Amino acid sequence: MKALVVDDSRTMRRIVARILQDLGYETDEAGDGQQAIDLLEAGEVYDLACIDWNMPVMDGLEFVMAARARTDWRAMTLMMVTTEAEHGQIVRALAAGAHEYMIKPFTPDAIRDKLELLGLIPAEETV
Amino acid sequence: MSAIGIFDSVQLTAIAEEVFAAMVDGEPGLLLPWWDGPATVTDPLHAWVDLHASYTGRVLLTTDAATADDLARALLGMDAAEVVSEADLVDAFGEVANVVGGNLKALLPEQGKLTMPLVSRQPPSHEGAFQLDEVLLAWRGRPLVISVWNL
Amino acid sequence: MTLATETFTFVADLVRKRSAIQLEPGKEYLVESRLLPLARHAGMTGVDEYVRGLRAVPRPVEYEKVVEALTTNETSWFRDASPFKALTDHVVPELIRERPVTRQLRLWSAACSTGQEAYSIIMALRDSAPELSVQITATDLSEQVLARARAGRYSQLEINRGLPAKMLVEHFTRVGIEWEVSQQIRRGVTFSRHNLLHAPPAGGPFDIVFLRNVLIYFDLATKQEVLRRVQSVVRPGGFLLLGGAETTIGVDDAWERVPVGRSSVYRLNARRAA
Ligand SMILES: C[S@@+](CC[C@H](N)C(=O)[O-])C[C@H]1O[C@@H](n2cnc3c(N)ncnc32)[C@H](O)[C@@H]1O
Repeated sequence: MKALVVDDSRTMRRIVARILQDLGYETDEAGDGQQAIDLLEAGEVYDLACIDWNMPVMDGLEFVMAARARTDWRAMTLMMVTTEAEHGQIVRALAAGAHEYMIKPFTPDAIRDKLELLGLIPAEETV
Repeated sequence: MSAIGIFDSVQLTAIAEEVFAAMVDGEPGLLLPWWDGPATVTDPLHAWVDLHASYTGRVLLTTDAATADDLARALLGMDAAEVVSEADLVDAFGEVANVVGGNLKALLPEQGKLTMPLVSRQPPSHEGAFQLDEVLLAWRGRPLVISVWNL
Repeated sequence: MTLATETFTFVADLVRKRSAIQLEPGKEYLVESRLLPLARHAGMTGVDEYVRGLRAVPRPVEYEKVVEALTTNETSWFRDASPFKALTDHVVPELIRERPVTRQLRLWSAACSTGQEAYSIIMALRDSAPELSVQITATDLSEQVLARARAGRYSQLEINRGLPAKMLVEHFTRVGIEWEVSQQIRRGVTFSRHNLLHAPPAGGPFDIVFLRNVLIYFDLATKQEVLRRVQSVVRPGGFLLLGGAETTIGVDDAWERVPVGRSSVYRLNARRAA
């Protein structure tokens, strides 16, 4: 399983990447939407992309729209991971084609719960 | 319209507590309201984001550089011996300001826009601005000030 | 700080008698950290002093607080995902197939904690079987978690734990820094206080019971007793959904294990119950 973490903050990229690695993912990182597109254009294939919203050059919403326009990238699950926390923003991201939405701050458990929901990791039954 | 009366210090504190519990400490209870008389930040580092709606607001975090250093270490999962680079320090403290600011923005009745975080040893200019709110917090016993401004 | 042995023994006994939760030796830290706020609130400096006071003068209200403080209320939306999938893809279609005239389902969310389980069930069934009328009785021992469940308000961190974004935008509105679940969803759930050691709650007989992540705290005899009581309010052919680390196998043979996808559900033998 391979994931792409798209965030302009290297701190946040490292936090998300580490959580995903603990869940068995190999990770790549991109500092904005355009860098993410470049990786995909170069032929990288990801099962999952975790995408910040506010980034320079190309923001997360633009990236989601660009990614959803490409039929050959359809297998990639798109999850926004952002501080944008308004009801209306979540609606916008879903309408643009994001599959899931995580509001910062989050815990490692919250990421695991979302991936379980998306069927991207087997449910680890918890007590 | 202005930001007056939209944020209160209880909400500000609750948001900061959530951010620290989830992302910095991994458990609640390490960021608390300051209780111990006046707090002094002697070697300040500032991180802020501006919030543009029908007015402009600012969320500013101030703490000692050494505290920000430990904050970066906690966020990045580094141990006490590792040296935090200037770039990591700036990015980590800025991201904390960004997450706090983003959650405050969600309390506005209108859709606003957040600027990228800035971090500096010099406080931002507050000429013509006025302070709406300020909370004094203790992270692991060390002062952290969060203030909200109307620019 | 170390806890006095007699403090721990007294608290462990009290909690076992009132909730059946087993506090094994080694859980002193848990007792200490959970009771410290109560001790402070009562104006005492430490847990030993607080418990000494309780032992000298029995105070039922304070006892209840002690028991509540020692419950573990950890929960999340659509916890473990698979039971909710089993519910919508197998359990409910099966019940509808067998009783085509039934347009009503009664469920019990036992040991519901802060309500995420019950609300998740309602939201899932509104999507998968909108024609059904669903009534859920949701119960817990702790008045504190029930108050939060009834309020239907959750922090951002709680919302992040397993709630699908589609359901968040459809069924919740922001209230300050929290999110509130809609009236429409709340209408389907009735919360009430109930101890699993006592007679079953009103609202039955039930078609489906969620009894998740609570049997693990009990010893075998208590598990058997609780499952027998549950049995008495489940319709023949009704379903039981347990937590991932829980089973009826070797505990109560009135239930038949039905594997569904990655998990299992349990079905009350029609023959036995009839
Ligand atoms: C870990 S939570 C499980 C919540 C939910 N069912 C889930 O799976 O996420 C356990 C709950 O059991 C409750 N509980 C413990 N002992 C109980 C008893 N004897 N009767 C009723 N509820 C009890 C606690 O108050 C707590 O809310």
